[in-house]
Amino acid sequence: MKVLLSWLKDYIDINETPEKIADALNMTGLEVEEIIQPGKNLNNVVVGKILSRDPHPDAEKLSLCSVDVNRGQPLQIVCGANNMKAGDKVPVAMIGASLPSGFEISKAKIRGIESSGMMCSKKELGISEEHGGLYILDENSQIGQDIVSALSLDEVIFEISVTPNRGDALSHLGIARELSAIFNLPLHRDPLGNEDGEGSVSDSVSIDIRDRELCPRYGARVMHNVKVGPSPDWMRERLEKAGIRSINNVVDVTNYLMLDIGHPMHAFDYNLVAGKKVIVRQAGKDERLVTLDKVERHLDSTMLVIADQEKPMAIAGVMGGLASSVTDATTSILLEAAFFNPTTVRVTSKRLGLMSDSSYRFERGTNIDNVPIALNEAVRLLKEMTGGQPVKGIADAYPKPEVLRQIAVRTRRVNRVIGINLSPAQIETLLLRLKLDTKRDGEDLVVSVPPYRHDLSIEADIIEEVARMYGYNNIPTTLPAITSVLQLPTPLQKLEKRLRSHLVSCGFNEIMTYSFIPTAIDGCFTEKKPLMLQNPLSEDLSAMRTSLKWGMFDALKRNILNDEFNLRLFEIGKAFHPAAGGMSEEHARLCIGFSGSADPKNWRKSSETFDLFTVKGLVQNIADLLKVKIRYAQGSCSVFHPALQMELMVGKAPAGEFGQVHPNLLDNKKMPKCIFIAEIDLNRFAAAIEGASRMKAIPELPAIRRDLALIAPVSVAHRDILKVLTGEGKTLMEDCYLFDVYQGKGIPENCRSLAFAMTFRDQKKTLTDEEIQPVIARMVSRLESELAVKLR
Amino acid sequence: MSESHENLLKQYLAEKEAATTTAELEALRVKYLGKKGEVTELLKGLGKLSIEERKTAGASINELKNHIQASLDESMRNLALKEQEQKLNAEKPDHSMPGIYPASGTLHPVIQVAQEVADIFLSMGFFMAEGPEIEEEYYNFEALNVPKNHPARDMQDTFYLESGQVLRTQTSPVQIRTMEALNPPLKMIALGKVFRKDSDITHSPMFNQMEGLVVGENISMSDLKGTLAMFVENMFGKRPFRFRPSFFPFTEPSAEMDIQCIFCEGKGCKVCKGTGWMEVLGCGMVNPKVFEAVKYDTEKYTGFAFGMGIDRIAMLRYGINDIRLLFSSDIRFLRQF
Repeated sequence: MKVLLSWLKDYIDINETPEKIADALNMTGLEVEEIIQPGKNLNNVVVGKILSRDPHPDAEKLSLCSVDVNRGQPLQIVCGANNMKAGDKVPVAMIGASLPSGFEISKAKIRGIESSGMMCSKKELGISEEHGGLYILDENSQIGQDIVSALSLDEVIFEISVTPNRGDALSHLGIARELSAIFNLPLHRDPLGNEDGEGSVSDSVSIDIRDRELCPRYGARVMHNVKVGPSPDWMRERLEKAGIRSINNVVDVTNYLMLDIGHPMHAFDYNLVAGKKVIVRQAGKDERLVTLDKVERHLDSTMLVIADQEKPMAIAGVMGGLASSVTDATTSILLEAAFFNPTTVRVTSKRLGLMSDSSYRFERGTNIDNVPIALNEAVRLLKEMTGGQPVKGIADAYPKPEVLRQIAVRTRRVNRVIGINLSPAQIETLLLRLKLDTKRDGEDLVVSVPPYRHDLSIEADIIEEVARMYGYNNIPTTLPAITSVLQLPTPLQKLEKRLRSHLVSCGFNEIMTYSFIPTAIDGCFTEKKPLMLQNPLSEDLSAMRTSLKWGMFDALKRNILNDEFNLRLFEIGKAFHPAAGGMSEEHARLCIGFSGSADPKNWRKSSETFDLFTVKGLVQNIADLLKVKIRYAQGSCSVFHPALQMELMVGKAPAGEFGQVHPNLLDNKKMPKCIFIAEIDLNRFAAAIEGASRMKAIPELPAIRRDLALIAPVSVAHRDILKVLTGEGKTLMEDCYLFDVYQGKGIPENCRSLAFAMTFRDQKKTLTDEEIQPVIARMVSRLESELAVKLR
Repeated sequence: MSESHENLLKQYLAEKEAATTTAELEALRVKYLGKKGEVTELLKGLGKLSIEERKTAGASINELKNHIQASLDESMRNLALKEQEQKLNAEKPDHSMPGIYPASGTLHPVIQVAQEVADIFLSMGFFMAEGPEIEEEYYNFEALNVPKNHPARDMQDTFYLESGQVLRTQTSPVQIRTMEALNPPLKMIALGKVFRKDSDITHSPMFNQMEGLVVGENISMSDLKGTLAMFVENMFGKRPFRFRPSFFPFTEPSAEMDIQCIFCEGKGCKVCKGTGWMEVLGCGMVNPKVFEAVKYDTEKYTGFAFGMGIDRIAMLRYGINDIRLLFSSDIRFLRQF
């Protein structure tokens, strides 16, 4: 909201600097976003009178003007505009002038002719976006006068952001009221019109409120012989500076009062009000109204309309109808000032997708006492500006006058909540500055709330007012003298923290992707029907992710398209699934992505690219780190290559999967074949973490180590050989692992060489070769007979 | 030692000085102490002497022998060390070659900042609470004193699911869930993703918030100020701060906290729009209506709450100019942290 300092001075004699005023408003909760001073960057621009205008000898579109600026010889100025004639007065930027855009005027030759200055448009002066040629000034402007004073551009405009609770501050009066409280200055205003006029309003119009809840008060006045036309300069200027376009004198007055005292008003063409009757009622089903913005609105019974005997004329508090609006042909008007229920106005405005300055204020609550004041002041201004003749009196339907809200406020509570120690008298003084009247009740107070303070309804609200006036920065700083109930981190929280630091140590970069993903992605990324947003930002952000794989795939792909091929990424986040009863479930997941090689900067050995077994290894590494027992099973996830994927099991429950991304998904030539993704269900992992185990004694007796190099048909699984080895090793076998695999020269076709390292140990006595020899012999013989695996 | 023995020793010492390798020293040992060495020969000649002479000559020769032996041993050791050192020095590789090490990764900048913020509050005795990202409208709004059709809803443009649930617009519903589960006194923080329908260089439809809540008997606004002052001092260093009145439906009184701009130290710059101040968080005393929603005794308990955008703090800290970079997964960006 734009607030003019000169306008504020109608109400308050304030002489502080703009900066000090802005700071004070900031420190009491009205945030000043910007201080605009239109004349501030406008130097050496004066009123000039065009003495003559001739065509430029060498340029058809340029004119050559002689301009009197009351400084000796007239200036010769070349100009590209064509809306001026000899005798017009215009703003002239002299040599050396600077304009708000930063442009500086210097002597120049334009198409061979010297030009000693520039005549300006409104836009060039920085006072409007309008670019319609030169700004032709009022003919009474004084030649040679500085433009800043001639146009009263030495205005200070505050751009204030008002929080939704402070409807009372959405006007110049409201801001002045706040300043009067802050600086402890009196608030004054001139008498605002009266009810005088000809005849009697009751003969001209009758008001019928059908729903007192939705419209507690509706007031109207009638004026005849109104001459609709432009508003005087002072009003146009104020409106424009406050950001409102001037329409005509009648509409301008209603807007002016909205900005002045915060009360939205409306004017109807009196002669178009059928039956001279105003009915405030709910709209009928399927009723329609073309509003001022020329859009046909479909109304329903939740909306409140202002109607005459026949038809709706306006949507209450939101926007007037086109048909009954004031036009140049209007001679009699009906002025409306009312109080509408904030919720109704908001619901209607939302339903119609139609927000106006009026609905914005009604939603936040207006001052019900302002109804007669607004009407009388509007009549006073219109009488002055249009020569109209008012009908005497206000048609004021106010069936159940509001009683002032009373709030009991306990001194002890005020001090306890704020952490200070004020006396009841001190509290009263602070509240009085805000025009909050108090009555003493022993040590406590009863506060009467003025009708415009809709934000004050409970004791805590008054405590805030006391704190604001006391000054937040005067409140001491202490620390809470309590000890919280103890809540230890959950297993999942601990696990996530551990995983993050582990994966970073292992060389992974953490990513964070959106929880919503495109609806149109390849179906293989969503397990079942995902949860959908009703109102997504776009199709690309419309479905809640059912797994983190798509985000990871997308992250890998986008980096690869940037020529970043060696990637190790991880993300920890939630996946979302529909649950019974239309509800949802959230599952914590870890997703890991691989591309290229782990160690491209290792100069010693050629770095190996990732394959299924590096991924399987990392998964096992994580399980070992967290002490979770996992098993692997054949995977069936459609994101992955059918043969290059595995499923992860914890007990009998699936707990994740990993694999190489399916070749069909590699839709760009740049994409390498070997992109891997792993996803782990962290809820399952967190639940399966094993507790601390007891220490085992460190063996004292020596072990015997044996290697076994085997030649096996490729169809024989490593797992099956291992089973035979451990089966025969029994309790003597301490460890057995694969340490070499070879296929090629020297090995028969369809076979591979597998080498195992085995460690044997007896806990009770020193093991001898003689005891191990028969064990190895049994292994070899079983491998040969059961699996056709031979010693190499 | 007799004169002739002295002379022999001198001869030996001169030859030893000239020796530069262990092999030459070995040759000297053979020459003097070997089977046919000069000293050995002298010892062999002792038999020809009288008993008296044998005594004195024997002592003299033995002294000579021991002397040479000790001297040879020492020189041998020294030369061996020297030769080893030369050999070791010859092994020197090109030290300027880069080391071979497993590349380390990076934590997401938002997570780094969140952990830092959380650590400060955890040290102050807060605990970490959690709540769902898909939230009931009641927890996100009504229980926090944001009724339906209240203009305060305009402060946060909300995503709705087809079920009527919402993506939480703030971490504040975690306050409600925590208070429903626990009785005061409590000091909690909650960290998590929140969602609002907004997207430009300073707004992302998903971002991260940290929420805090303290409830107990006699908790006051001065406690709020003290707690948050301690936080900003530990997070941003000791610098001026201020509290401005503001509006949040779930707190009354409400405030916004500013710190002196960390870029210009209060002189006024582009980041702080010339004001010298930077807004870091919103806060306030818990509105009694919120306590009523969770059935806390509003007379007995008071409390304060605060919330801050972690992404914004990360952007300030690292000079990130577009919030969307945080969610871009761009390795060229992530690697820098």
